[in-house]
Amino acid sequence: MVAAAQHSVPVTVLTGYLGAGKTTLLNRILTHEHGKKVAVIVNEFGEVGIDNQLVIDADEEIFEMNNGCICCTVRGDLIRIIGNLMKRRDKFDHLVIETTGLADPAPVIQTFFVDDEVQTQASLDAVVTVVDAAHITQHWEADEALEQIAFADVILLNKVDLVTEEALVALEQRIRGMNAIATIYRTRDAEIAMDSILGVNAFDLGNALKIDPEFLNETAHEHDETVASIALTEPGTVDGDKLNQWLGELLRDRGPDIFRMKGILNIKGEDCRFVFQGVHMLFEGRQDRPWRPDETRKNELVFIGRNLEEMGLEKAFRACLVGGEF
Amino acid sequence: MPKPLLNLTWQTLLADYVTALAWSPDGSRLAGCSAAGEVVVFDARTGASMALQDKQGLSVDAIAFSADGKFLAAAGQAGTVSIWQMAADSAELSAKLLTQLENPRVWVDCLRWHPYQPELAFNLGRYVQVWDAVEQSVIATPAFETSSVLDLAWHPSGDYLTLSGNLSVKTWRRDDGYNAPEIRETGGASGAIAISPDGQYLASGNNDRTLLVWEWDNPYPWQMQGFPAKVRQLAWSTVQPQGGSPLLAAACADGVVVWAKAKDADERWTSHVLDLHSAPVTAVAFQPQSTLLATAAEDSWVCLWQQSTQAAQILEGAADGFSTLAWSPQGKYLATGGCGGEVMVWGKVMTGKGFG
Repeated sequence: MVAAAQHSVPVTVLTGYLGAGKTTLLNRILTHEHGKKVAVIVNEFGEVGIDNQLVIDADEEIFEMNNGCICCTVRGDLIRIIGNLMKRRDKFDHLVIETTGLADPAPVIQTFFVDDEVQTQASLDAVVTVVDAAHITQHWEADEALEQIAFADVILLNKVDLVTEEALVALEQRIRGMNAIATIYRTRDAEIAMDSILGVNAFDLGNALKIDPEFLNETAHEHDETVASIALTEPGTVDGDKLNQWLGELLRDRGPDIFRMKGILNIKGEDCRFVFQGVHMLFEGRQDRPWRPDETRKNELVFIGRNLEEMGLEKAFRACLVGGEF
Repeated sequence: MPKPLLNLTWQTLLADYVTALAWSPDGSRLAGCSAAGEVVVFDARTGASMALQDKQGLSVDAIAFSADGKFLAAAGQAGTVSIWQMAADSAELSAKLLTQLENPRVWVDCLRWHPYQPELAFNLGRYVQVWDAVEQSVIATPAFETSSVLDLAWHPSGDYLTLSGNLSVKTWRRDDGYNAPEIRETGGASGAIAISPDGQYLASGNNDRTLLVWEWDNPYPWQMQGFPAKVRQLAWSTVQPQGGSPLLAAACADGVVVWAKAKDADERWTSHVLDLHSAPVTAVAFQPQSTLLATAAEDSWVCLWQQSTQAAQILEGAADGFSTLAWSPQGKYLATGGCGGEVMVWGKVMTGKGFG
């Protein structure tokens, strides 16, 4: 994973089930971006349309890169479309990709980190997932619904007017248990301040890791879902070699079950924070700003994925601390 | 740097990014198309031009002359495949629009004429249509099925049509009505294929950072690894400088790797890297009947590599980068296209020594 070029076009990925309110949100984005050139790639029919905006209807097409490994899949249709769009003189200011309710968000995200041609031209801003607060309960059994929540940076809990406050609170807790880093908003008609979903820079490593404090405060998480988040906050310094070895093995063996991870580390012998993120097996890390004198040096990591409990993440990470058992 | 090999003969400007350039077989005419949707024919010597299609908003991405030079085909994001009949007099630039094949909601970005018949193959999503330009009828529609068709190539013998896509390269025989294809597996998606002009080798550039080369009659490929990114462009030389095998140039990110087969019994392929470019390489092409290699890149340089090894000249003139290039079939001219719409034709410097 390599950070995309600075002048590249920001990309918003919009996921959610059909009927959740994606199209309403998309039309709000287009109205808001009026005057800018926005290209929209849609994978299912909807009433999209603002004058002068380009809407491209594409069939989603998954390309393997490594004999079928799911971590190394990309979206061939996006590579082709983005490559072609960027040839034009009047390039686009913003690209919005609307996925179908049944799409796996991972190949979309991986495309922006794996394909060098796309990487130099476009950069992911955020994955925005619209959840139908009234009907999501019918979809908990579906992998797609869980994955769309797990991969999200921003979650719109839409149609809140159709459910009770108690139901909403329960829903928020359940979603928070799956994804500890997404920002959750309650909306009606997908009405939301645009700066909450655009210009989020969620994939920018320089951005602070924001773990919901409530998630950290809750002592006992109900991990009854197969998809869940685990957040680790540990004082101390990390042995860089041990960490490398652990993460390497973890991603190799359990990559398909780890959807996303983010972290800030205090590495032994380093004056700067080390920041990293991952999507399945893809890993990207670099040195960040120096630790401030008044700052308590610590390590914060968040994993979002499937069957995380059995991976023994906390114990394994502690073993990477200087002085930790190995 | 040695004495220049090429001088600028003429130049002009299209409205947007030059997506493709193609020479007529006799080298008298050059055709170009752009991201603004223009299709223009130029006189090779003077640069005099005739617009066959004005800008129309949607990009035209592919353009090619038929083997006999009678037809010019172009296609792009509108899904329309247009075929013009060229005037018999090669000094005449005008052309008559013969056929327009509409394919709504499909981007046609790849078209190739049969090496000697007036038969045009072009991609339509997951399949290819082979069109008879004289009879004006569909000959066949071989289906790649498993993914969109990413590239296509005719075997120089004219007996086979090869398509590439996700996880494989498939070859159909022309004489059995494009029946069951022969399938060659690739580790990832094959985005570029090229068959050597002698018909001996098939190369596939893949998104898993490998290059595969098959002998035409051998199902087991050589696999070339070590590329930093996907292999985007391929070109074979027409000449065979070493042990009877042509050279293969493969572009990947900012670099170009040139492969040659060793003469010894191991039949290994050896390579060297040409790394002068500082931005992605957009096109590579060998001068016909020579080992002079031209490489175009987004860094605003076209580099000429003597014997595919030594940088001999750098051509400039497209400030936003070069997007494509094409040698005239006789090797007399090099046409280069720019990201800002520049079309430039370069000719041999007459006073210098020979080429290659």
